[in-house]
Amino acid sequence: MPHKLVNGIKVELTAEEIAARAAEEAAWNAGAFDRAMSSLRQKRDALLKSTDYLALSDNTLSAEMTTYRQALRDITNGLTTVEQVNAITWPTKP
Amino acid sequence: MGTITRTFANNITTSGVFKPNAFNNASFDNVTAVPSGAIESGGMVLLSTQTASGDASISFTSGIDSTYKEYMFIFNNIHPASNSNLQFQTSTDGGSNYGVTATTTFFYASHQENDGEAILAYKTNRDQAQSTDFIYLTGDNMEASASDASVSGYLHLFEPSSTTFVKHYMSNTDHVADGPYQQNNYSAGYFNTTSAINAVQFKTTSGNIDAGTIQMFGIL
Repeated sequence: MPHKLVNGIKVELTAEEIAARAAEEAAWNAGAFDRAMSSLRQKRDALLKSTDYLALSDNTLSAEMTTYRQALRDITNGLTTVEQVNAITWPTKP
Repeated sequence: MGTITRTFANNITTSGVFKPNAFNNASFDNVTAVPSGAIESGGMVLLSTQTASGDASISFTSGIDSTYKEYMFIFNNIHPASNSNLQFQTSTDGGSNYGVTATTTFFYASHQENDGEAILAYKTNRDQAQSTDFIYLTGDNMEASASDASVSGYLHLFEPSSTTFVKHYMSNTDHVADGPYQQNNYSAGYFNTTSAINAVQFKTTSGNIDAGTIQMFGIL
C-alpha cells in the first residue's frame, strides 16, 4: 500500500488520499509539455535579454550575433514532445 | 578584566548537582573577556529527522509551536522516484489539511553540464499569488533516472506560531535537473494568515520520495 511519512512513522494512505494523489499526478503529467515549453521560453528570453544591449540603435549587430539571436528565437520551432524539448541544443554565444 | 555578577537560582538536584540553568548572568561591568560558558549562546536545536523510503510525502506535525521564533528544515540528498519537483505546504490544523494561502517568488540560476546553457532567471510558472497550491522548492524537474542525482538545501520558516503577522519563509535548494544541469533555486514568500502554522508537509509533484532526509531544527 502507498504510504506517507508523518513524524518518522509510515502511515498508509487512505483510499481518498490515493485518489487525490492520482488526480494530482495525472494533472501534472498532462501538463508536462506545456511546462517544458514554458521553461524553454523563459530560458530563451533570458538569453536574448542578455544580448539586447548589443541591438540598441547606436550599435551595429555583428552577423554572428544576429545569427545567434535568430537561432534563439527559432529554438521552439517544430517541438511537439517533452523529449524533443529536453534534447534541444542551445546555440553558442559568439 | 571586569566583573560578571551572577545570581544563584534554586536549581540544584537532590544529589547536590547544579542544573544547567543554576546560574544566571545578572550584569556585566567593564568585561573585556568572557570565560567559556559564561554566556548562554544561541544555536540550532535538532527537533526531528525523517528519512524517506518510497514515501508519498513527509510531514512534520509536532514540535512546531511558540517554543522557537524560527524553524529551519534541511534537505539532504532527496531523490525522487520520477522526474518531478520538490514542494511544500503548511497547515493550521495540525496536519489535517495542507493549503494555506501564500504569495511567493521564485528565481534560479542554472548551468548545463555540457556548458551549453548558463542563466539567471525569474520563473513565473513556479511562483504563486494568493494560492493554496503546494509551493515549488525546485525549478525544473529533479532527475530521477540517475541514481546519483538529488536535491539538497534548506528552508526557513519564521515565527509560525504568530497570531499577529503573516508567516514568512525563505528557501534555497540545489539540484540535478533533468538535462542534466545544475540548478540553484531561491523561493520565498509568506503565508497570508494570522492563524498559527503548526504542521509542514513536503512532497514531489509526481511519484514518491525514494530517499533522503529532512531535518527540522528550532533556532534559538
